[in-house]
Amino acid sequence: MKPDGKINLVAELLDLPLLDTEGKYCGIVDDLELSGGPGKDLRLDALLVGPGAYRGRLPKWAMWIAKAIAGDRITRVPIDKVRTIDSVVHLRCPAGDLGLDKSERGAVSWIPKKGAL
Amino acid sequence: MNPLELTLGIMTAVGGFVDISELVFAAKAGSTFGYALIWVFAFSTVGIIVFSEMSGRVAAVAKQPVFNLMRHRLGLKLGLVTLAASIISNLITCAAEVGGVALVLNYLTGAPYMLMAVAMTAAMIVSIWVLPFKWIERAYGLLGLFMVVFAVALVAIHPPWGQLAGGLVPQIPHGLSTKEMLTFGYFVVAIISAVMFPYEVYFYSSGGIEEGWSPKDLLTNRMTAILGMGLGSLLAISILASSAQLFGPINVDPSIPGSAALEAAIPFGKWGLIIALLGMFFAIAGAAVETCMANAYSIAQFFGWLWGRHKKPWEAPRFTITWIVLFLLALAIVLTGIDVMTLVEFAILFSILVLPLTYLPLLLLSGDRQYMREHVNGPVAKVLGWFYFAVICAAAIAAVPLYLLTSGGNG
Repeated sequence: MKPDGKINLVAELLDLPLLDTEGKYCGIVDDLELSGGPGKDLRLDALLVGPGAYRGRLPKWAMWIAKAIAGDRITRVPIDKVRTIDSVVHLRCPAGDLGLDKSERGAVSWIPKKGAL
Repeated sequence: MNPLELTLGIMTAVGGFVDISELVFAAKAGSTFGYALIWVFAFSTVGIIVFSEMSGRVAAVAKQPVFNLMRHRLGLKLGLVTLAASIISNLITCAAEVGGVALVLNYLTGAPYMLMAVAMTAAMIVSIWVLPFKWIERAYGLLGLFMVVFAVALVAIHPPWGQLAGGLVPQIPHGLSTKEMLTFGYFVVAIISAVMFPYEVYFYSSGGIEEGWSPKDLLTNRMTAILGMGLGSLLAISILASSAQLFGPINVDPSIPGSAALEAAIPFGKWGLIIALLGMFFAIAGAAVETCMANAYSIAQFFGWLWGRHKKPWEAPRFTITWIVLFLLALAIVLTGIDVMTLVEFAILFSILVLPLTYLPLLLLSGDRQYMREHVNGPVAKVLGWFYFAVICAAAIAAVPLYLLTSGGNG
């Protein structure tokens, strides 16, 4: 499925994992940025990724816990960076180009890089 | 299909089938109700085969593990509830397995239980760090084949095969009091939960993705699920049947894992005991590793992180930190001094509550032609899948009342 066609946002896009051009998982579609208004076409502008995007989807108390554990970062993925959508969202570029790899890069400094086969 | 790979896969599934909960409940079920609960093991094994095959097929065709599907199908709110429940369930199960391994090492060496728990946690962390996925799975699964001694021991004590086969017929023993009937009901629910633990499906489907399964591996998936789990279940049934013959008549309550090892010691002496303890050691250690990794898989998949042990630990850093922390949390639970058997009971209880939420998204996706194309559930998988889903929903509803009414099956 191409991102410029008709799409059922909830059933076919929300909560799908994102895969970059290097085949790496780099987040989940946590929310969507839409544009349009009364009498106009509704358009999907971007995918929102990160715990900050839970805000509209969780009760306040749950959001408070999520923020305490994971922060409230949001990364915006413009829709033109999406190549296709099937059981995952395939991006047109590496995760690093969109800032989707920040948390993994932060965590890697905690890990010794030796000893594994 | 590579026959050597297939054989190794099946043997790994056999060796990895039994964990501490099955070990304890099989032995207790046999001593308390004779052969009357064998059918529950057989019945639940068909259930875990159905869902494992489904999860492996989804992994091979849609390239999606269970928790990705769960998030997409259940949405964020219900998905988070399921994730939290499954983390708690798997963590308690992992703690029970870590405690179980420490207990077996304590029997084997006489070294202090707590010290063994710390040493084994460290050893298991090192093994996951050093070995790639296939070797982790194979090493623990194949060494768990020492458990075959339980099947050999059963043959050696010449059980009444007719009665044993009669146990395969669904039944409720005659003449039970209300209290005994409730205990029987609790055992039915506990065995279903122990055999169909959610971590097994999380681990199995994630393993399919770790090994890069594609539609050409569907036969391997089916054979591994049916033969591996089917034969593995025979080991659990052997433990139950030996217990029914050896412990039941003299009113021995095999409520600690060491009691089950005596089933091999009676026909084969010291070496039977040692082999049984070694089998238990590797089988329970394998289950500890699987529960810990299944938990880390779930979290990483739910949030879309890099995951997997086909990558080096530093190539999936958040996943790596997660499984190490989970192992340390499981150890911390053991070090509080809580009894292993209590952990086993909690693990059983939490797992059955999580099971419906685990299997519903899997059923929906494996039946979705858009994702699964020609590999969508056929009539047999569809009927069996929904039937077992109804069974686990009923078991989940009955679990807590039965646990409270029977004090965890202790009457």
